[in-house]
Amino acid sequence: MKLSASIKQSGSTLAELMVGLSISSVIAAAAITASVGLQKSFNAVDQFFATQMQQIRIIDYLARDVNRGLAVTTSVDLQSVTVSVPNYLIQAGDAEAIANPSSIGTPRTPTISYTTTGPQVNYSASPSSVVYQINGMSIVRIENGVVTTIASSTDQLVPQTTDVELANTEYTNSTITFQPVFTSGGQTASRTGTTLCSTAYLRNKRRG
Amino acid sequence: MKITGRPDAEQANVLICVVCTIAIVSVIGANVLLNCVTRFNAASSQVRAWKESLYAAEAGGDIAYAEVRKTILDRTNAFSGWTYSGGVYTKAPVTFGGNNLKTNSRADTFWVDPNGNPWYRIRSQGTAPVMGLKRVTMDDRMGPNTRGDSLLRKIDFNYDHFTATYGANGDNTNQTLVSVNTPQMTRRVELVAAPMTPFEAAIKAGGTFYGLGSAAYVDSFRSTTGAYDPNVRNTPTDPRFVDARAGTVEINSAIATIMGSIFGNVYTNGGSVTKNTTSITGVIDNNVPFSLPPFTMPDVTNWSFVSNPSAVGGNTTISPPAAGTASRPNYYLVSSFSTNGVLTVNPYVVNGTVQETYVAIHVTGDIGSNSGQGATITTANHVHLQIYFDGNFGAKAQNIINQSGYAGNLQFYGISPTDPSVQQTVDLNSGGSASAGFAAVFYAPSANLTINGGPDITGAVVCKNFYSNGNVHWHYDRALDAMGDAVDYRVASYVEDTR
Repeated sequence: MKLSASIKQSGSTLAELMVGLSISSVIAAAAITASVGLQKSFNAVDQFFATQMQQIRIIDYLARDVNRGLAVTTSVDLQSVTVSVPNYLIQAGDAEAIANPSSIGTPRTPTISYTTTGPQVNYSASPSSVVYQINGMSIVRIENGVVTTIASSTDQLVPQTTDVELANTEYTNSTITFQPVFTSGGQTASRTGTTLCSTAYLRNKRRG
Repeated sequence: MKITGRPDAEQANVLICVVCTIAIVSVIGANVLLNCVTRFNAASSQVRAWKESLYAAEAGGDIAYAEVRKTILDRTNAFSGWTYSGGVYTKAPVTFGGNNLKTNSRADTFWVDPNGNPWYRIRSQGTAPVMGLKRVTMDDRMGPNTRGDSLLRKIDFNYDHFTATYGANGDNTNQTLVSVNTPQMTRRVELVAAPMTPFEAAIKAGGTFYGLGSAAYVDSFRSTTGAYDPNVRNTPTDPRFVDARAGTVEINSAIATIMGSIFGNVYTNGGSVTKNTTSITGVIDNNVPFSLPPFTMPDVTNWSFVSNPSAVGGNTTISPPAAGTASRPNYYLVSSFSTNGVLTVNPYVVNGTVQETYVAIHVTGDIGSNSGQGATITTANHVHLQIYFDGNFGAKAQNIINQSGYAGNLQFYGISPTDPSVQQTVDLNSGGSASAGFAAVFYAPSANLTINGGPDITGAVVCKNFYSNGNVHWHYDRALDAMGDAVDYRVASYVEDTR
């Protein structure tokens, strides 16, 4: 048996290298571009769904407070909502708390008073105030001065609430929109497409 | 054999590249999947459980509210199957629905009003299972002081946080660790069931309404702030003005023909109020349904029974042997009230001093007639008279004589017939001068009430179908809205314990 003297030496010419490098560069550029695009798209979709979750949260917060509310007022631009809610729990500083500190955080027993409109159920001398408003890029909820950020997004969340007060009932219509990072059909169209609507009745104002 | 140069090494490079690519793609895919599952978790499972737990809590509130209503409408079955301890009725947990929602509720009397009517506090909690992964949402990352969803939707993953933190009753006592089998959300609501008094409106018709005459009017006043003054209703500066425009008419049907002037609100159930609606000073709301349950004779067990008289003939006088009280009146059972019967009820007198006297009469047949003279009923000053009748009622307006002038002192209650084919009637006919009238109230939810002529009436009526063709002057006394035994309950307050 005869062995070859040596492994065959072979290589590429400069031209071949240049061609190969060019093709590789194109493929790499395409891959990077596609990857960046994919990442952007993913981020946009992720951001979209994240903001949708914030929409739902705002609506749920509002609905909870409106349901238990005694009265609702909205600002002229409809972007600030004030809900008056029963002061159900005894807070530090309340008369009951001063008389009995261990009662802090416990539910009140309601009292009844007779007004010109009939008997009224009271949980304290004055109700709590809950305010929803825009603060920069955030939506904040302020209850008795305590500020809680309930949504924060770079997608320009805009809540609008209309209060409808009838003779013996009251409800609110709320819409929340945001401006997606990726827009394709123009800003107005893309914002409209994100609208979330909700109607909440004040359980304390019923017909009949 | 010919050996080529290092073929195995080249294959390994390709394998490494493939493995790396798969790894990168898998990481990206896993990231996408993780985010998607988390979003799905929040949007589908947690938001749904949050809403469903409220539905469950409100269902529990409705269950308790139905039992509270039974204390009036179906007394023997009220709170049947509930546990009663320490003044609180407790309902065992109920599981319902395809998602195994759970609710339990409790009710207690927290106040008894001056009329002796109990007010109930209902506490209910609803629990819904949280499907999916045991995770909080990604939106808790909003900021250092912001917890996003978990601040709103509190999920019990392993333990009931409410019982552990605030105790089962939420009063900061008896805190215990109670484990949960599956993740769940619980919401708690508190309702107040308030007694509905019989006379909350000037006219309340469970069926159709026709009237009054074109020159008639319904206005109001409050006897506790002064006598009726016809000028107040047109004097906005008068502090009694608000009480002068509360002559509300409520109609639980779409068939409503309104004439005359209504100084108050008009409610119908699906109607389109017709004729002279410009004469209604208040709100017209055509979407206000209500129910008028049949009226049954109250429990007389604790009333002070007086055997004589047991019939009312040509001229019958009742002089009670005691003053009685609102909750324990002198009680007479009258088996017949002749067509032209005359009844006079006097107060109890002690050493020449007239006492506030409470009298209840149950007439098991008709009172008077809708033709001829009809019944004559005179109730003296200081007498608080309640007349219950099983049959029909017929009298001329001038023959209903309430010497106190307060409508609440003369109350008529029509007991609903048990036979649905029997139609009860109340006929109030004109007689005497044009302004002849009376001060009284009628609660007859099953009776058709007819008023002929144009009497001057101070009071209120509750009936089935209402018909009046005359120019009645009707003055509703707003003091009536806090008077009388409860006829039903309504939910007067709603709060949620958001802890």
